Amino acid sequence: MIEQRNLGSRAFHGVIVIFLGLTGFLTLFPFIHVIATSFSGGRAIASGEVFLWPVDWTLQGFRNLIEDGQLFVGMRNTVVITLIGTCFNLIATILAAYPLSRRRLRGREGLLMAITFTMVFSGGLIPNFILIKTLGIMNSYWALWLPSLISTYNMFVMKTFFEGLPGELEESASIDGANDLVTLARIILPLSLPILAALGLFYAVYWWNAYFNVLIYITSSSKLSLMMVLYQKINNVSEALLSTGGGSEGAVSGQNLTPEGIRAAAIVTATAPILIVYPFLQRHFVKGVLIGSIKG
Amino acid sequence: MREKLAAAPASPHTEPRVSARLKSGGLWKCIKRDKYLYLMLIPVIAYYLVFKYAPMFGEIIAFKDYRFADGIWGSDWVGLKHFRKLFGSPDFFNILKNTLLLNVYTVVFGFPVPIILALLLNELRIEWYKRLVQNLLYVPHFISWVVLGGIIIALLSPSSGAVNMALHNVFGIEPVYFLASQFWWPIVFVLSGIWHSAGWNTILYMAAMTGIDPQLYEAARIDGAGRIRQIWHITLPGIRSTIAILLILRMGYMMDIGFEHIFILQNSAVSEVADVISTYVYRMGLQNVQYSYTTALGLFQSVIGLILIVSMNRVVKLFGEKGLW
Repeated sequence: MIEQRNLGSRAFHGVIVIFLGLTGFLTLFPFIHVIATSFSGGRAIASGEVFLWPVDWTLQGFRNLIEDGQLFVGMRNTVVITLIGTCFNLIATILAAYPLSRRRLRGREGLLMAITFTMVFSGGLIPNFILIKTLGIMNSYWALWLPSLISTYNMFVMKTFFEGLPGELEESASIDGANDLVTLARIILPLSLPILAALGLFYAVYWWNAYFNVLIYITSSSKLSLMMVLYQKINNVSEALLSTGGGSEGAVSGQNLTPEGIRAAAIVTATAPILIVYPFLQRHFVKGVLIGSIKG
Repeated sequence: MREKLAAAPASPHTEPRVSARLKSGGLWKCIKRDKYLYLMLIPVIAYYLVFKYAPMFGEIIAFKDYRFADGIWGSDWVGLKHFRKLFGSPDFFNILKNTLLLNVYTVVFGFPVPIILALLLNELRIEWYKRLVQNLLYVPHFISWVVLGGIIIALLSPSSGAVNMALHNVFGIEPVYFLASQFWWPIVFVLSGIWHSAGWNTILYMAAMTGIDPQLYEAARIDGAGRIRQIWHITLPGIRSTIAILLILRMGYMMDIGFEHIFILQNSAVSEVADVISTYVYRMGLQNVQYSYTTALGLFQSVIGLILIVSMNRVVKLFGEKGLW
């Protein structure tokens, strides 16, 4: 494109550059602030000196977490929940999306309608809860994995992707004598790595952040997920912060430790894995959304 | 919208010809030919039956006095008792009002934000800077509400939160109890919602913008249109159908506000403005074990939601666009 190099256009561009930079900074500021807090000393936090950079460097908050250990049990549980859950999700989603992407399949339309209906009408919280209780899988991770086995939206995204693959490939495979399973494993899936990566990431983030299901279905404290442990840690201090005086005055044993400091350290620990892998995964996410939006 | 988003639209390749040939066989022949496909579908169908359709069936406990020991079949029918109780309770109107109001606020103040961000991002001529800002804006979408809520609570804390500290140091304002104030709570809710998803929601608008014909801009420049006029006369009309569809579909979710975002920020001081259907069902149903009563509420919500979504989908189709189905 030919740029118009007049003054007004440049000023306009400059304003946008600055405005968007500020917006990006504002989006990130809370995260930077909480990281700074997590490394700051209790006195500095309580007097509100911490903004973007730690004041009175200390690792007390993190040390407290390690001694406590709960958060790391939660993290271990979440890793298990995430790895196994994501595998289940991907397998089940492929099992659904591949047959439903074959236009020749008898009964396809009816099945698609029945599945679409579940996107707009659902049983609600209590019937789901009763179902899990009746199945006898309360307080086990099956109560998390099974009800979320397939995200119907993701399934449609994958189905659309499969439909977009050139049909000649499968025709030639079937001429060579491959059945549907072989075609899927040898031809379709190797071509589907981008969509598998994107949907796998969506599912993995879902499990990493799993909280509501855990709140309802997991009762024993040794099985709680990372976010649930984190919630308990935050909740312990948030009521205190709402009441007058605030939590900072009741400093926990040791001069340099405040509830805010511990909480900030917990938040940083729980979020760090996502923030560290984020730059590498980000384009897969975007791709997933775009493929999803093309779906009819 | 779809045509514009799809760089290479999924072509309905050679299937029709193939299927015409194959479908001529009998039903049994088709099942035999596609036996592996049907085999694959068995667990899928089982999943949808057990975990999606069985709970729908379970909603009949709204018309019964459900007791776990008796099971869904064994419990006694009580007709509309729970619905009468629901519609007669002042709680009901309060949570309905809150659910709708918070949704309206979210749409009115939150919906335009990603559009504006996308328009501005689209004007950026420095490619790496544009990508950097985009990636920064996406971040909160991937963080759980537990974390976001924890950060918000810390930032807004009256005793040591950065916001109150800044207000105090710069303007000398006394600490504001943002999360305990019925005035501030909805504002915090809406703003945090924007923080969470506005950046992410720019993706679709940005994609729609890349589908606009560059010649239009060329022509506009020759006609002497500045940047702002180009946005107004070309970019905005170019994404108009995307905006319309997303807005209309959003209207279909007025009854549904999610759970985590509200629950994390909620506290007893603001329940009058912050208690919504989902949190009420959780509290009354699971914690106070009023299964049938809250299922009646859930059923009411689902039915209204269904009506809204179906009618909004119809509106989208009236526009000549593809809807949800």
